Amino acid sequence: MNLTTFLLALFDGVSYAALVFIVALGLTLIFGVMRILNVAHGSLYAIGAYATVSLVGWVLALGAAPILAFPLMIVSAILVGVLIGGPVEYLLLRRIYDKPEVLQLLVTFAVFMILEDVQRLVWGTQPYFEAQALRALGNVTVFGVTYTVYQLILLPLVALTLLVGLRFFLRRTVTGKLITATTEDREAAQSIGIDADRVFLLTFVMGAILAGLGGALASPTTSILPGMGADMIVLSFAVVATAGLGQIEGAAIAALMIGMGRSFAIYIWPEVAVLVPYLIMVLVLLVRPEGLFGSPAARKI
Amino acid sequence: MTEPLLETRDLVIRFGGVTAADHVSLKIEAGRNLAIIGPNGAGKTTFLNICSGWIKPSAGSVHFEGEDITRLPPRKIVTRGVARAFQIPQLFTEHTALENLLIAASARDGLRNPLRSMHGIDARDEMMHLLDMVNCADVADRVVVELSEGERKLIDIAVALALKPRLLLMDEPTSGVASSQKDEIMEILIKALSEANVTSVFVEHDMSIVQTYADEVAVWNAGNVQLRGTPSEVLEHPDVIRDVIGEEIA
Repeated sequence: MNLTTFLLALFDGVSYAALVFIVALGLTLIFGVMRILNVAHGSLYAIGAYATVSLVGWVLALGAAPILAFPLMIVSAILVGVLIGGPVEYLLLRRIYDKPEVLQLLVTFAVFMILEDVQRLVWGTQPYFEAQALRALGNVTVFGVTYTVYQLILLPLVALTLLVGLRFFLRRTVTGKLITATTEDREAAQSIGIDADRVFLLTFVMGAILAGLGGALASPTTSILPGMGADMIVLSFAVVATAGLGQIEGAAIAALMIGMGRSFAIYIWPEVAVLVPYLIMVLVLLVRPEGLFGSPAARKI
Repeated sequence: MTEPLLETRDLVIRFGGVTAADHVSLKIEAGRNLAIIGPNGAGKTTFLNICSGWIKPSAGSVHFEGEDITRLPPRKIVTRGVARAFQIPQLFTEHTALENLLIAASARDGLRNPLRSMHGIDARDEMMHLLDMVNCADVADRVVVELSEGERKLIDIAVALALKPRLLLMDEPTSGVASSQKDEIMEILIKALSEANVTSVFVEHDMSIVQTYADEVAVWNAGNVQLRGTPSEVLEHPDVIRDVIGEEIA
């Protein structure tokens, strides 16, 4: 492997890890606080991507500057989180918090299936491609390897900002403290007057926005087509499980491991590339069933 | 006659075949510490749970300062001014003592401004004062999981006071601590309550504590108030000696 291929694999890995991390962050936040593994998270990712492509396509067709694609990504993510995530929590999940985990998993899986069909109804089955945002930022050349600024700099920067921001939010703000307190003991939280229902709704919408944002940011780098949500939920679950459920910093490390493992495999042994993330997960879980950073019954978030 | 602080009217609840509240009508006057005693299963804790909203009665109502709070969820009852301390302190053990108080102080409207910093809470000095009142100022920055049971009990009281209640319902404030420590905790508790101008109702099994610290005693039996009076009246009553104190000795 020469330097050029090494750098290409490295850059692929970093940009891919950043995207997966953003989605996994939402998944692990929701799990950490609400103890629900939300399979529909994958659909929110896909719908975030579709919504961005539609919105950006529409606005740019009106003659707007390509740079406008960026605020539209944020708008799409928020729309997905509030308009889909909000009702899913409020109308559905709220009723099943005290039910067995199997049932919770089945309900979120059902939501996932429904949303997959909704995507086909709204956007059809032909792939979409909308890379204006990617082109708007241009390229950068590092040691002779030319890569897009969007993937090499913007995506990792956004991922890092979200990691630091979420950490800060949970540890240093009043709302963050109320969320971690409710995570620790829902009844105690209610007995001091915390509106636990609102805490859960807020957390779920935040997690859903992260899924939507992952999709929005992924949209210029890939074809948007049916099945992308399923791929992403499996992959981000692998990241979250490898890290330890509810582990936020751990998810960043696990995303890097899995992203790098996959991208280097593509150059070295392409036949197994798609398997690599799951091989990493299985190896880690065989040695540490609670994940790299999880402990059997310690901090939840 | 002044309006009672809390009044229950004909509370009824059954669990299976057991009647835990059998037409309980009780008035609690402001400014006094009422002890509830009685044999196990008499419905003492159930009464506290109904008043704080954790259990909904099948009939009857609870009125606080004249308002019907029977159907309100627990967190809204807290907001009205009725705090509840449980037998096991309900603290957030992964947070420090001071954080526990700050969380309580901001629980009510902390979600309105999502980005407000914990350091921006004006209540910080006030919370330190509460910790000082319960002799726990020195452990303010320690994580609760590291603290002793006695310290947790005291911090739990401070958390309850941080909610600025007018009525505090407590389930055995001194259970789980060494008997040598019980008086110390009760002294601090009663002093803090009077300083904060909070009325209290507490379930208690230790008759010497009832004798020393209660202004008034209500005896529970089979889901209702059997007797009510001053500690000396009640504790010397033959029925009480037979049904309640006898059981404690045995």
